[in-house]
This record gives sequence, structure tokens and C-alpha cells, in this order.
Amino acid sequence: MSNQSLATSPEEQRALERFYFHEARLLDNRQYQQWLSLVSEQISYLMPSRVNVQVDNRARGNEDMISVERELEDQESMGCPIREETYIHLMVRVERAYKINSWSENPPARTRRIVGNIELMAREGDSFSVLSNFHLYYARPGNEDVIYSGQRRDTLLSQEEGFHIGRREVVMDYANIAMPTLGLLF
Amino acid sequence: MSLRVSELVNEDASLISRRCWSDERVYALEKLGIFGKSWLFLGHESQIKQPGDFVQAYMCETPIILSRGQDGGIYANINSCSHRGLPVCRADHGNTKRFVCPYHNWSYSVEGNLMTIPQETEVVQKPDKSQLGLKRVPRVEAWRGMIFGSFDEAIIPLGDYLGDMRFYLDAFLNRFPQGIEFIGAPHRWVLNANWKLPVENQLGDVNHGAFLHSSIIPKEAQDMIERLGYSVVTTPGHGATFRLMPEDSPIDEMAWGMEGMAGMFGGDEVQNYLREVQAQAAERVGDLRARMKGLTYGIYPNLSFLWSNTSFKVSHPRGPGKVEYWSWSVVPADAPGSIKKTLRTNYSSFFGPAGILEQEDAEVWVQQFIGSNIDFADDRPYYYGLGLGEEKPHAELPGLVSVTANEFYARHFFSRWRDELQAVEEML
Repeated sequence: MSNQSLATSPEEQRALERFYFHEARLLDNRQYQQWLSLVSEQISYLMPSRVNVQVDNRARGNEDMISVERELEDQESMGCPIREETYIHLMVRVERAYKINSWSENPPARTRRIVGNIELMAREGDSFSVLSNFHLYYARPGNEDVIYSGQRRDTLLSQEEGFHIGRREVVMDYANIAMPTLGLLF
Repeated sequence: MSLRVSELVNEDASLISRRCWSDERVYALEKLGIFGKSWLFLGHESQIKQPGDFVQAYMCETPIILSRGQDGGIYANINSCSHRGLPVCRADHGNTKRFVCPYHNWSYSVEGNLMTIPQETEVVQKPDKSQLGLKRVPRVEAWRGMIFGSFDEAIIPLGDYLGDMRFYLDAFLNRFPQGIEFIGAPHRWVLNANWKLPVENQLGDVNHGAFLHSSIIPKEAQDMIERLGYSVVTTPGHGATFRLMPEDSPIDEMAWGMEGMAGMFGGDEVQNYLREVQAQAAERVGDLRARMKGLTYGIYPNLSFLWSNTSFKVSHPRGPGKVEYWSWSVVPADAPGSIKKTLRTNYSSFFGPAGILEQEDAEVWVQQFIGSNIDFADDRPYYYGLGLGEEKPHAELPGLVSVTANEFYARHFFSRWRDELQAVEEML
């Protein structure tokens, strides 16, 4: 992927924004079943683990030395990503939210997602590689309020009824994980 | 302060004070009487295979560097410079010849010896570097690749400390021709909870599954746990829960790993591997242990192991009301890379910081601390009396054995805990 985003028409950029803002509103309104209909049944939903890596002396002076990628234990690594989920996992999470005994969501968290920095990085047929950033404010009775911050690296599939999420990798910005759960729908 | 340890836990440990979980002085006594005196888990040999390899660890709140020396030996040193106290290692893991303090660049070998003091050429009296290495953890021993350290030079050997728990650990560790491997850096997260509740939860509390986790765990699975489940205490503070599967069980019901997401949805390659492990299990661990399908294990004071979701966990205290919880995914060392990658999702799907089940556990651990830190209720200690006195020896299973609803695992833990705190009570 080139480091430059693609030049998009205002209509195309607006279509991407419209999708992401709709998605964020569904999640904040706890309409997870509707959200699931935006997800491809072949989805990979990934969250790499983020580690404190040893500085490689030979890389000093280069951007590589402190690259974000070096900090990620992702799906390709022999480390242990935090999430490597399929449609089944997401379905379980969504169904669980509407059970009366899903205690970590009872009462449910009040969340607000702000999604921005939406960049179309590549386009191949119906498949779009899109980066976006998010801040997610999370407040739940009995817990301290927290802010989740991260980047999403998506593959969106353009279909007749609109975009579907074909792949999502969520890169969280944490040092120690000081949030009640990383199991939310980001 | 007037609070006495004898007031915290009653004689048969069926009543446990809220202050056990929330009091600053109790925590100070825990550091002296437990974390200063026990074998504490540091890491696994698979994490430090080559000379120069290191990982970070903790012993309570004290940061430790666990490393493989140039001589092939295992070293554990406190990660704090002898000059001004800074950590000399900042990476979670890696391979190095030297640890260098950022402040004045004192440097240490991977074994912890002080190698250079850049300033010493400018002064007349040279410091004795042989006395200024990193502080070594006085006792380090390994069993089946699992490395433990102790601050107590006089502690009993690790093998004796683990005792009959080795019988149950081996049911898993010895199931695989090359043992197990820890993969990746630990997931570490911070919860506003007391360190003992995650420990208790995985020492024997499988009974909460039917209730707290009922949104995910199907009733049939819970019924089977009650029907086939055993809870065992080998030594107070060490415990295991498991199902003993009937001899005629189909291999897919017996085999480790099949009941997780990776086993269910991971495809033929991983399922065939799991069947093969099970087919050889009797040969490797004997008929009885081949039929064992574990649930939770606990090693005193703060190491836990989840069998089906295959994770080792350490509950590192950060005060009475805060814990830094570490967990690793564990896979059979002999499995091909592709199978290891699939099997790690048996852990991450349900446990770890995003786990569908563990999010419920984290929730109650935090809520329990809130309840333990309230006022005007010290006359109402927690009730730990379920199944009091109902545990018994067993013909084939070492230790005391009972049904999973019996809370004897927790009573034994707290009896030991009380005695160890009492032994140091006068020191504070």
C-alpha cells in the first residue's frame, strides 16, 4: 500500500463517510443486530497485541526503528493477537448483548464514537482499503470512564446495498490495557 | 493498628473478612508473609531459548528480568540499576548482550553482572563492580520448563512445593511429546480488583460458570461439569478442577482443545492433530489422566492455568485494590506453526482482555472489590462455608476430593494465607 491515500471524488469520500458515521451511530445506539448486517460472513476481525519491543541498534537513524508495525503481534506473527475473530464470534457477541444475564453489559455502557481521518488507500474492483481513526468514550455504572483510541484498517466490499466490512484490523493505542474489556465492537 | 489476622479468617476459614481484600496493612503483610516467602512464577523456558534471550516478569510489584545467560543457565534479577534504581530493561522481551541504564549508562551483562561504569575512569577510587550487579533473585528453579523464583533463600525445593499438584499438571504438560510453549508477550491488563479474587476464581470456582457465564456457556456443558466434575486440593492453596470422562467417551469429547473455538471451527488439520494427541495420551500420562479433561488449576499464591482455553495467568498485585493481570496463550511445542496459530484462538476467543467469558469475570472482580471496601459491614464477613468438611481422600486421585460446589479450595487457600500472615504479623 502506498503511503499516500488515493484522490477521491467528493461523492466517493462522502459515501465512505456516510457508511462509517452510520456504523458508529448503530453501535452507539446499541443496534448491534443492524450493525451485523453490515458485516460480511467471511469477515476477519482482528486486533493485534501491542508490545514494548527492543530497539534494534542496526535500525537507528531509520523510521523503521520506531515503526508501529514492529510493536504489533498480528495474525501473521507467532505471537498472540488479542482478537482473531470470525463472523461466528461477532454473532455470539451480538446475540449476547440482548440476553438479560450478560452481566458485563448490564447496565449497558454509554458510548460515543468519533470516527475521522477516513482515507481510501487502495481500490481493487469492488474492494476498498480504508483507514480510519476513532475515539470511543465509554461510561458504565460501577466503572471508571475510559477513552478507547485506535486505528481501523478495513477492507470494505462495495455491494448493491452498500458497503460490507470484509476485514477489519483494529490497532489499539494502549501501553497497559487499562480498560474493562477490549471485547467491544470497534 | 488494632486489626489482628485472627479476626480476618475464622478457624475453619468459612468466614472471610472484607478487610482481607481491601486493607492496606493486610497487603503489607501479604508482601512480607506470602510474596517474600513463596515460589512465584516467572516464565517458561520456551520464552528464553537462546543465550541472551530475556523476558520481563514480576514478583509482586518488583520488576524482574528473566534471562538465558551466555553459559546457558537461567538467571532472574531485579530490574533496577544499582546506581539510581531505574529499570535497565524496557522491552517486554528480546535478545541482548547488555542492559544499559539510561541515566548514566551503567551496563549489565545478561546474567546481571555490572560490566561498565562510564564515570569510573575519572575518579581515583574505583567501585568494586563485583558487588554492584543487579540484585539476583536468590532462588530460581524450574520444573517441566516452568521457571519460578523466590526471595526466600531457605524455601523448600520447587518440586516439593508443587507436591502432588505435579500429578495434575503432568496430565496436561506431559500430554505432548515436546511439552508446551508460551507464545508471544503476555497480555497484561489493569483492573481495580484485589489480586486474590482472580486466583480464587481459577483455583476451583467453576460453579460460577452456570450463573455468571450463562449467557455464553450452554446449560448442557454446565450439567456435564456437575456430573463428571471433580475439585481437588493437593496442598492448601494448590488446586485442580477437571472432568473425568467415562472410558467409552468418543475421542472428540475426550480430547483437549476440541471444545474451544479453534477445535470446533478450526478445520480438519487442527482437529486431526487434537485426535492424535488424545490417541497417544494414555501412553504418555496413563489411562486415568488420559480421561482427564481439565477446567481450572491454581498454584499458590498467584499462578493459574485454564486447561480448555489453554492459558497461564499470573495475578500481580498493585495494592489492595488494583491488579495487573498477565496471561499467555500456551500451545503444544511439537505442533506445526499453522496449528499453533489456530489453537491460540482457543484462548483469545473466550479469555484474555477481549475474551467473551473473561469480560464477565473482570466485571465481578471489580464489583467484588467495591463490596469489600465499604464501611459499616465488618460484622458481616463473607460466607465461605459451602460443603464444609465434605471433602475426602480418593482411591486414585491424590489430595482431598469433592464436588465442584464445595468451596474447600478457597477455605484451604485462606487457611494457609492466614497462617502465613500470622507468622509475620509482629513484623509490622
